[in-house]
Amino acid sequence: MIRAQGLTKTYDGKVAVNGIDFTVEPGRVTGFLGPNGAGKSTTMRMILGLDAPTKGTVSVNGHRYAASPAPLREVGALLEAHAVHPGRSARNHLRWLAASNGIPTTRVGEVLELVGLDSVAAQRAGRFSLGMGQRLGIAAALIGDPPVVMLDEPVNGLDPEGVRWVRSLARQLADDGKTVFVSSHLMSEMALMADHLIVIGRGAILADSPIQEFMAEHASAYVRVKAPQTTDVEALLVGRGLDVTRTDDELRVQGLDAPAIGELIGSHGFLLHELTLVRSSLEDAFMELTADSVEYHARTEVAA
Amino acid sequence: MTTLAAPPTSGSLGRTVRSEWIKVASIRSTWWTTLAMIVLGAGFTTIISGVVAGDIASGKSGDSPGEYITQGLIFSQISAVVIGALVVTSEYGTGLIRATLAATPVRSRVLAAKAIVLSGFLFVVGTVTAFLGYFGGNAFFSNKGIGISLGDEHILRSMFGAGLYMAGLGLLAAAVGLLVRHTAAAISIVLALVFIIGQVVSLIPGTFGEWVMKLMPGNAGPGIVVPVSFGDNMLSPWTGFAVFVGEIALLSLVGFALFQKRDA
Repeated sequence: MIRAQGLTKTYDGKVAVNGIDFTVEPGRVTGFLGPNGAGKSTTMRMILGLDAPTKGTVSVNGHRYAASPAPLREVGALLEAHAVHPGRSARNHLRWLAASNGIPTTRVGEVLELVGLDSVAAQRAGRFSLGMGQRLGIAAALIGDPPVVMLDEPVNGLDPEGVRWVRSLARQLADDGKTVFVSSHLMSEMALMADHLIVIGRGAILADSPIQEFMAEHASAYVRVKAPQTTDVEALLVGRGLDVTRTDDELRVQGLDAPAIGELIGSHGFLLHELTLVRSSLEDAFMELTADSVEYHARTEVAA
Repeated sequence: MTTLAAPPTSGSLGRTVRSEWIKVASIRSTWWTTLAMIVLGAGFTTIISGVVAGDIASGKSGDSPGEYITQGLIFSQISAVVIGALVVTSEYGTGLIRATLAATPVRSRVLAAKAIVLSGFLFVVGTVTAFLGYFGGNAFFSNKGIGISLGDEHILRSMFGAGLYMAGLGLLAAAVGLLVRHTAAAISIVLALVFIIGQVVSLIPGTFGEWVMKLMPGNAGPGIVVPVSFGDNMLSPWTGFAVFVGEIALLSLVGFALFQKRDA
């Protein structure tokens, strides 16, 4: 279990993480979702005691990470791919990690096999692809068989097979009762992997709820209506107490399903050019939620 | 699947030392640099001794073999600086420092382990290099009938002193590495300090300049390496080495304070 209370980090007066509170529970995959620069990695570094919080506290299994005599047996973390020396072999990278926490060397072979790197264990890590580097990072996270596993953007650089592997690994770890905390800037990935979602933007928590709840709440649907007599149709629908938003010649209607809206418009003798059910994806929901918290926007909008 | 036993609570420093040793030993550049240290150090001592042996034996030069029997180690200094700097800076260059501190959050223990591994390794390699150079160079001196025995005054001190000095130089580079966190910067600074600045300050006039030169780490430290000193304007061997150690300690303390405070 990971618990943050009032966790704050400022760098040269710029607030990276702003007094956040959250708890990551065991037995489920908790997604940590936010745009780049939202404070995900900073938060993870503070959990590991690499960065000192400006204010607030964060504990792992009820105590400070640094207070653990063998922290790799408590928390395994994948921080950034290629946090390895390019001249050191995968096996030796894991060997020094194991030695530092009194973990038997036999474990090195086991995690290499687990992540599928046993055949290239003697190769220098500098020759690894991004995906192999991620696998090595995950092997390092699992070396101490820790009850808490923290993965920062684990699917970055992985091929589709690797992405599926990470997904099922996270699931299996959670099913084994471990605390699994996975960050990503991809909503679609989180939708497939996480049971619970913590959304962060500009250093503040925007949502903290089970994924089903988050979807129900944020992934909305509406009916697109196009009719030549736009104004009259709008008046009609609003008159029936429906939620209508107008953009140019298009009406977005919520509160009634498409057939019923069509019948209503037809029964009043209006022509109808389009009647479409539009479901906004989770991706849209996420974009909407974090729209104000993205650090850098592209200046030109992509034509929709 | 190995079931991990309960984590040990004692012997923590030992675990960190083992871990740091695996790191140092599992990088090829360590061994290339070590090989360079031995070959250049012992090789140049041998060559130089071969060149000067005739003149010393004939009394033409007025020098003594002891002035030359550790000469090649001047080149070994470069390797010691490189190895020392890399022990710290390679971790910053690769982001590895985060993995290191996640594995061992007690930062003082990380630095202590690095210092033990580095100084132990360089002491051994430095001493071995000195002995190899002695055997190589002394073959020429013996040939001319002016050989030195290991039992002669200051010879053993200079052999083991070479190990001590190399260890110190490595620690100095590592400390500078902690300050600048950049490989090329750390190596250049220490090499410049030892090879260039140490000589340039002799241009400062008067007693002040004389003292500044004597106290420079690259001048104070290696006194214990040479059995017979070239000049007499240097500190006595052990006094010089004490100054050198003090300078390393001071830099290390500053580096340690920054290391404790900074985010990784």
